[in-house]
Amino acid sequence: MLKKYIRIYIECIKISISTALTYRLNFLLDNFIMLVSNILFPLFTLLIYGSGAEFPNWTLYEVLLIQAVFTMSTGIANILFNGVLWATMRHIIEGSLEIVLIKPVDCLFFLTASTIEFSSIGLFLGGLVIFVVALPHIGPVSILMVLQFIVLFLSGVCVMMGISFIMAATSFKWVGNSRIPEIFESIKYFGRYPQNIFHKVISGFTSFIIPVAMVGYFPAASLLGKADATAFIAILPCFLFAMAGVFLFRHMIRLYEGVGG
Amino acid sequence: MNFLVKKFRVVKAVALVTYKEWSAYRTHSMVSIFVGPVYFIVQYFIWSVVYSGKTSLNGMELSQMLTYFGVTTLIGYLTMDFADWNLQMLVRTGKFLTFALRPIHHRFFALSQKIGHRVLGFLFEFLPCLFIFVFIFKINMRPANFGWAIISVALAFLMNLYLNYTIGMTAFWLVQAAGVRRVYLLLQSIFSGGLIPLVFFPGALQKFLLFLPFQYVSYVPAMVYIGRYTLAGVSMPIPQVVGLQAIAVAVTAIISEYIYRLSMKRFTGVGA
Repeated sequence: MLKKYIRIYIECIKISISTALTYRLNFLLDNFIMLVSNILFPLFTLLIYGSGAEFPNWTLYEVLLIQAVFTMSTGIANILFNGVLWATMRHIIEGSLEIVLIKPVDCLFFLTASTIEFSSIGLFLGGLVIFVVALPHIGPVSILMVLQFIVLFLSGVCVMMGISFIMAATSFKWVGNSRIPEIFESIKYFGRYPQNIFHKVISGFTSFIIPVAMVGYFPAASLLGKADATAFIAILPCFLFAMAGVFLFRHMIRLYEGVGG
Repeated sequence: MNFLVKKFRVVKAVALVTYKEWSAYRTHSMVSIFVGPVYFIVQYFIWSVVYSGKTSLNGMELSQMLTYFGVTTLIGYLTMDFADWNLQMLVRTGKFLTFALRPIHHRFFALSQKIGHRVLGFLFEFLPCLFIFVFIFKINMRPANFGWAIISVALAFLMNLYLNYTIGMTAFWLVQAAGVRRVYLLLQSIFSGGLIPLVFFPGALQKFLLFLPFQYVSYVPAMVYIGRYTLAGVSMPIPQVVGLQAIAVAVTAIISEYIYRLSMKRFTGVGA
């Protein structure tokens, strides 16, 4: 069973790569523009620090590190899960979800696997560039910190997965609304900044309810030696959030009534 | 006079149809009622922290900064535009032919569409967010001078249309104008003042921005609203800035018309 799923997934990755290679110039240009626009992303923070102001107790490079991690996480999530929403939305509008449902694999798995798209690799690389720039300016990093970073980073990717699945599930009811991502985009915005600047109620929300703090802030904090118990307690809500996404999607499929398929 | 009455009838008809067409998707517009305030909350906390212990940054106080972000959000709802996307789609698919045959200038048609679309934005985005900013966040959203603010926003409305329309016209040469649009939108989002007030940019860049059209879309109307305009060390009284904005709009309109005439010579209508 598991073997079958892994085989399908690998096959989908191969197809996605060959698609990207067919239009390689377009692929490269797209990625280049994305890379450049994402290197510009921390501009806001740079300009604040440039004007002589700062986030108290945070150096410029520490804040850049948070934003670099956030961008890398977004890049990975976009490659792996971004297509689910659009594919689901298209199927709902056209009434063609039945074609996916009759396949002998899990619907959500199939939609996720078949929409892997490497066009967001520029996003990841853009984040990586900022990460590499910021890294030499922070304190020494121990192996323990790196391990913590990896665990927290992966939890953050789980949150992104949960968000993608919840958005896809929403599109069952809110048909054809291309602005669904904006709603979550705005919530994710909280994850890009040091959490101690927010009110306690908000940082509680971003750590435990919709744990977007895990997307950028917590993993970066672990590399800076600023990760406290909250960061590790917040791992659990991340996995619960991802599970919630899966369950919600499955629930919506049960409610789905094919029309016009 | 007859000419104006006819023009007005066209605007009314097209705007009304566009309004009806898009009001079927009014919940899509209403996403802004959530998104706008959420971004604002983030800005609120960022600037509250950044200003701690400081009374002013680059000549702006905290309360002005918050008003600035509230105002740019609201002005965005009134001036939002996708004429560029629409035009390049019409050109690429060949549907532009049907517009080229009509006895109306397509840009005028696009303007009428935009009016209808933004009336919807006014009702479902602008008003709800204004109430949230004023009554929940307690931000001072009273313009320094109503008259100048309205004129400036109206000019920004036109400026955004003319700029976007001109970018859309690149499709007559490039067919697939997605790349150009992306670069333009990126530049516009940074240099129009939507990201951060332009006075936060390095001095040399500010001087450069003084001569670019971007500031007239967002920064100028926002500063007119607040009642104080400064860029690159140049301060101007409000009537003068609005005058300058009007000149910029007129120049952009003329350039846009010139490119439109060149485009019409190029357009072949293949694919229709």
